[in-house]
Amino acid sequence: MFFRDPDSSAENPHFSRRAALLALVQAGAFAAITSRLYHLQIVEHNRYALLAEENKIAIDVLSPTRGRILDAHGRVLAYNTDGYRVVVVPSLAGNVDEVLRRLQRILAISERERMRLVARSQRQSPTTPLIVAQNLDWDTLATLNLNAPYLPGVRTEPGGRRIYHGGAAIGHVVGYVGAVERRAMDDAPVLRLPWMRIGKSGVEAGLEATLRGTAGRLTSEVDARGRHIRTMDRVDPVPGADVKLTLDLDLQSDIVQRLSEFKRASAVVMDVRKGDIVAAASVPGFDPSVLLEANSGSHWAALNASPDDPLVNRATRGLYPPGSTFKIVTALAALEAGVISTTEQIDCTGTYHFHDQTFRCWNRTGHGRCNLHEALRESCDYYFYDVARRVGISAIAGMARRLGFGRTFDAAFAGQKAGIVPDPDWKRGRFGRSWLGGETLLAGIGQGYVLSTPLQLAVMTSRIATGLDVMPRLVQEDAASQAPDAGSLGISDAALTSVRRALHAVVNESGGTGRRARAEVGSYEIAGKTGTSQVGRASADTAHGDLPWDQRDHSLFVCYAPASQPRFAVSVVIEHGGSGGSVAAPVARDIVDLAMMRATSREPAAGDGDRLDRSATGRG
Amino acid sequence: MARTLPRQTGTTMARTLSQLPWELLAVIVVIGSFGVIALYSVSGGSFSPWAERHALRLAVGLALAIAIGIVPIRFWLAMANPLYLVALGLLIAVPFVGTSTMGAKRWIGTTTLSVQPSEFIKFAIVLVLARLFFSSPPDRRSHPAVVFTALALVAVPAALVIRQPDLGSGLLIATLGVVVIFLAGVRWSYFVSGAGAAAVLGYVLWHNLRDYQVNRILTFLEPERDPLGAGYHITQAKIALGSGGLSGKGYLMGSQSQLNFVPEKHTDFAFTMLAEETGFIGSVTLLALYAVLIVIMIGMAMRVRNDFGRLVIGGAAALVAIHVNVNVAMVIGLLPVVGVPLPLVSFGGSSILTTMVAIGLAASAFAHRADVLRRDEIGTLI
Repeated sequence: MFFRDPDSSAENPHFSRRAALLALVQAGAFAAITSRLYHLQIVEHNRYALLAEENKIAIDVLSPTRGRILDAHGRVLAYNTDGYRVVVVPSLAGNVDEVLRRLQRILAISERERMRLVARSQRQSPTTPLIVAQNLDWDTLATLNLNAPYLPGVRTEPGGRRIYHGGAAIGHVVGYVGAVERRAMDDAPVLRLPWMRIGKSGVEAGLEATLRGTAGRLTSEVDARGRHIRTMDRVDPVPGADVKLTLDLDLQSDIVQRLSEFKRASAVVMDVRKGDIVAAASVPGFDPSVLLEANSGSHWAALNASPDDPLVNRATRGLYPPGSTFKIVTALAALEAGVISTTEQIDCTGTYHFHDQTFRCWNRTGHGRCNLHEALRESCDYYFYDVARRVGISAIAGMARRLGFGRTFDAAFAGQKAGIVPDPDWKRGRFGRSWLGGETLLAGIGQGYVLSTPLQLAVMTSRIATGLDVMPRLVQEDAASQAPDAGSLGISDAALTSVRRALHAVVNESGGTGRRARAEVGSYEIAGKTGTSQVGRASADTAHGDLPWDQRDHSLFVCYAPASQPRFAVSVVIEHGGSGGSVAAPVARDIVDLAMMRATSREPAAGDGDRLDRSATGRG
Repeated sequence: MARTLPRQTGTTMARTLSQLPWELLAVIVVIGSFGVIALYSVSGGSFSPWAERHALRLAVGLALAIAIGIVPIRFWLAMANPLYLVALGLLIAVPFVGTSTMGAKRWIGTTTLSVQPSEFIKFAIVLVLARLFFSSPPDRRSHPAVVFTALALVAVPAALVIRQPDLGSGLLIATLGVVVIFLAGVRWSYFVSGAGAAAVLGYVLWHNLRDYQVNRILTFLEPERDPLGAGYHITQAKIALGSGGLSGKGYLMGSQSQLNFVPEKHTDFAFTMLAEETGFIGSVTLLALYAVLIVIMIGMAMRVRNDFGRLVIGGAAALVAIHVNVNVAMVIGLLPVVGVPLPLVSFGGSSILTTMVAIGLAASAFAHRADVLRRDEIGTLI
């Protein structure tokens, strides 16, 4: 019926016949397939069943050893312990419960743990190994292997734990490893192994590909009980490479110690010559080795519940209005555009009028007449309102980007934030509204939409100190793959020199807002800039001490030292610390001292080493 | 029945829906469920990572097939050439922009959204050939100009796919093209002489090959010659199948398949998994379902009054049938191992999409079976 053409007038009289013919061919094909299946599954079933029973080939993925993480001086920050783990493969064990009971005679497995494992074996794939015990010593391993014939499906293999050295000081930078998320498991077969750990934050996550290595594969013939008969093929895993950081563990620890008097703070120390990040501290911190301990659940909960976000690396993920530290950007943009000269004076009356809006200088009574040098030294807002208005937002944004704002750097810092360098295009894209003139004034003093990270502030400072396009890096390169030296920023020497002089004055001249960062007499000199960035809508009329803590200003300081021949750039942000000059500046000075002391004690040949050492120890 | 249908123009959506071949779609759902069940087992009794995505793709594919089916067949006639050109363009672009897996470049796009042009060319070829033969008057269908145009439309993409290199898919595309040309009613003499020419060519080639080349082909044809190399997987697949017996080892209990010895067991070797766990009964049941699918489609083609629609349904049926034949024959050791998926069962988005589009086109041809398509509306190619 199906195959008879009901419409004899169809244009193609052959179709029905040919379709029928092909259907016949198809029937023949299915018949051939069915007879073959009959032959395999019915006639020869016994033979194949025997083969299946006797001859099983198991392919195991071999996990690579994760690379270590070292500090700049070769001290180990993250490594793997030696040790062995015992796993049971349910499909090979048959009766998992019985096998676990036998194991209980050799290993300390509690009744509860045994029941948990049995329940688990029923939920997951029968070929996925269950971890029974980890970190076994050699003797226990030998006992297990001796009893192997009575322990079907039980396998011992090398497998250590990730251990971190350095405690809470290195938690943010190094990060930690954790179990593979379900949705990531498809990426590579090795990720399905239950003991596989991948980087979750910090260098562990940022350099995952380097650290992980390449999985190997073991093809072996096993009997029906999963006992190894012979190895057919073995491709060894390639261990992950060690990663050597630019970070100095001692300096990092000292800086964290110095910051720990504050609730939330961070600091970045950068070697301006090569861009090495020598320290990147964030307070409060966490100790990654504690996170990896067996019963870390409550610790995790505490970390996640804390309003201080201890898991967040503030150095690279904390976003702050740069405040007055951003005046460096505005000054350079204006000098380059030629809208001000270094000698021109602007008369600060304390209140700047722009159309029908008023903008206050922090000094209510006004600074009087000041030039660029004085305006930076005393951080006059009025001066920079006027300069920002003259040069315009595009020039400010352009200079900010050249100095390292609005972007991320070295991938080893996983999860960096780019911050915001606002301009009219950005605002249209973000809010769909056009840029207002008053917003240029706010951006000019680092308020409004501008957001930056401590890392970016340190990069800006390095670039001002050197005049070069310094790139921060957290990982040391081997000699072969050294990055080319940083190129010039393309900012005129005259402009840079006048800004540097002003930054020197901030710390070292009377009237400077950063006087408290001044180093001890007889030591090197520091050049820097204070920043006090407003949080939310704190009313300027309220006395600062009366404000609730979380509405107080952030305290910022950026600096480089020695001023004459820059070696380190430092950025410090104390959340809700108050004024930059009184809180962040002295902290920054201590950090510079620590960094200089470490550097000179590591390099005894340095010319002025003695003098620096004396000054640093003098402070205690 | 076809004669009593009103003209499709002006009918409502509901009417078109009622005309869709629902029994066909029902069989599709049943076969697809076999796939979901098999993939659940492949991942050791878990919906992730494959079974849940497979089910989702089937649902999306089915919706797509229905959507394609609602569209008048007239539209697909108009789209035949453009679709073919797009598919051919993608195929040409693969060597330049494609990503490669396991040494062969077959994919275009990123990992989240990638397409395999060698899949899409399959239904494009069915459409373009159906259009070509429909647009030539019946007395000119065996004219050399028409036949050689048709051969070129098949040979160019087939050669491109073979060069990827994907010999299996290339030969499959060529076979599909030949089947559609055959269904179109081209004279027997072409097929007889074509087969003769192929035989002579093969004979000449064979006797001019070097020893190692001969060996390689023999191993390809008979993998058991190299039990630890090329023959390893097929030997293991046979053990898995054979140990399944009459009623199988039980769902999730296929020790051979659960041990990771078969590669691609979630894609090309999914049948092995089913056959081991559900035995001869299960594997024959699945085959019977495919047979029902093919019979339903041939029956649909018979009731369509225009030649374009008939060839589209015939081509769609051939597309599914060839895949089933090659895939199953491959895993039971009757054909060499070439990467051809089992329609609706193997995991893979491109394969499901191709199958569902082909089914959708067949549904469109059937739902609009009374439409009168006029050859002079589209002009002739020749």
